[in-house]
Amino acid sequence: MDLFSYLTSGLGVYVALVVFTLGMAWRAYQWSTTPRSPVRLGMFPKPKTGIGRLGKLMKDTFIAPQSARIEPRMWAMAMLFHVAALAAFVGHLRLVHEFTPLVNALGIEGMNAFAGIAGGLAGIVMLVAVLYWLGRRTYGPYKNLSVPEDYFLLILLLLVVVMGDHLRFVGGLHAPTYIAWFQSLLHFSPAFPAELAASGERWALDFHMLFVDLLLIYFPFSKLTHAIGAFATNLVRSGE
Amino acid sequence: MDKQTIDTLVGVLDKRMNRQMKEYLDICARCAICKDSCHQYVATGEMKYLPAYRAELIRKIYRKYFTGAGEFVPSLYEARDPDDRLMDELYDSTYACTGCRRCMFVCPFSIDNAWILAAAKGILIAAGKGNEILGQLADAALFKGDNMEMFRDIIVSGFADVERELQQETGRDIKIPVDVQGADILYVALAGAHSIKPAAVIFDAAGANWTLSLFESANYGFFFGDPAKAKLIADRFMNEAKRLGVKEVVITECGHAYRVAEMFYEAWAKEKMPFKVRHILEVIDEYIADGRIKVDPKAIKERVTYHDPCQIGRNGGIYEQPRNIVSAIAPDFVDMTPNREAQWCCGGGGGIVAMEEFKDVRLASGGKKVEQIRATGAKILACPCENCRLQITELNELHDLGLKIVPVMELVVEAMETAKA
Repeated sequence: MDLFSYLTSGLGVYVALVVFTLGMAWRAYQWSTTPRSPVRLGMFPKPKTGIGRLGKLMKDTFIAPQSARIEPRMWAMAMLFHVAALAAFVGHLRLVHEFTPLVNALGIEGMNAFAGIAGGLAGIVMLVAVLYWLGRRTYGPYKNLSVPEDYFLLILLLLVVVMGDHLRFVGGLHAPTYIAWFQSLLHFSPAFPAELAASGERWALDFHMLFVDLLLIYFPFSKLTHAIGAFATNLVRSGE
Repeated sequence: MDKQTIDTLVGVLDKRMNRQMKEYLDICARCAICKDSCHQYVATGEMKYLPAYRAELIRKIYRKYFTGAGEFVPSLYEARDPDDRLMDELYDSTYACTGCRRCMFVCPFSIDNAWILAAAKGILIAAGKGNEILGQLADAALFKGDNMEMFRDIIVSGFADVERELQQETGRDIKIPVDVQGADILYVALAGAHSIKPAAVIFDAAGANWTLSLFESANYGFFFGDPAKAKLIADRFMNEAKRLGVKEVVITECGHAYRVAEMFYEAWAKEKMPFKVRHILEVIDEYIADGRIKVDPKAIKERVTYHDPCQIGRNGGIYEQPRNIVSAIAPDFVDMTPNREAQWCCGGGGGIVAMEEFKDVRLASGGKKVEQIRATGAKILACPCENCRLQITELNELHDLGLKIVPVMELVVEAMETAKA
């Protein structure tokens, strides 16, 4: 690995994961140790049972039906993005461990084809959603409400997705090559396999990882903490 | 703005900080989904009325003084010190807000912008920019509480006048009991006879053991944004209830007074009250269901619709009782669309009807409510909140709706009279 690759696709990954994990833990600690509001902030109607509250929490957090009714296009883009991001995350777990049952069922060619279609679709959906959000922040009240953080995050996301899509659609390398690189990370001896080191795709991976690292490092200090905070705030809605 | 003032304002925000507010300030994505939920933003298109923008004014100070990232890279978050310009904008955004929390209803994270603006009011008050009228009205209520011996005879003689009026109007000897030790109910009315007379008729017919509070339920300390004053104002009737040993405090048809008494007071007082708090419509619904009062189910001939005041509906949980009551006396009851938790604010909450400076935005913001009422084709609006009634009465004249706007209690009394006839 050359220095740039080491900083982005080697050491940078460890740094990013440590900052992300500690940062999110610190954020959760800060919230949990700040005294709760003494007054009741819930909103009606409220479920009467704990199970009901849990169900409403899940519905409000994962479906947000009231948001869908008031701005369906924005809601649809948000839902598509989050589902696609989840799909992409799950797909990336193949780097940690091969999805053996799927490979057995589909065969290696079939698995690669499935991953190509699913990953490609997720990448396109995320690209469209991020471009929509960026475009939306260029005019009217959305622009007036935005602060630099909003553009910074969207551009970072855009770069992550574009480089990911490049690896998916343009690069000729398949999963086993990337799995070999990621396994080296898991064994704390980051290295590129020969095929990747010799390929021009190395640069695409390095930039993909650079933006992923930056996103993970910035995540705990950003509004993206809604990833965990939304559960707490949506619980307040139906709580006492 | 000098450093000492800034420190003071930041200190106020620190004092008002709690877990929920911190989460609300940290996670807002500024997606602006809330913009079309706000009757004021929809009517004017002005940024200062966009819910997330209102909260963003506080978020700028929060980011700078309460987060390391905001302190380190303020420009990324537009984190900044408060200054006179920001305070002026904050004043308009904050005191114009009616606290309806429809923005919280539509937010995918349920961010309570009104709760953030409650802290904003604290900051404005500390900066000497609290709304003067609301402050004066709150102080007047406190003066009355502190000097009850000066007012007691006048108030009690006023109640005697109400008894005489009731005698003339109903032909019955209906008493307005005051200071009844051990009464079941302490009824807390508004200033003026209009919220006392129908309740007296209903309590009398139901054979209720009730007593009338010497204090009105309205709480301008709450609107002003000073929880300490708001508590002291509510203390007046809460202490009265404790002194008399009542089983329940029943709040009249007033939105914010119910929310203060039911949702906030025990937290402010840091004690569990030895009585429960109910809204008068909960009590009347029970009386009708139990047969304690008889009403003519066809009493109200014209089409009736019902307005959900935000503070007793979305923020108070009273949706079905008023609908049960109106349906029991008016065969042609039509609900507005949307209703219940999705109901549009009429534009008259949060003390805004007392602030002349916001009259233009207040009346403009009633447009959605006007559309809703028109769509029902109703001739009568049952409305259990004084501020909503004041606002909709003005909208009624402005838009020539030809609407009769009445408290639910008045319709019930009418239906009781026709039941007897």
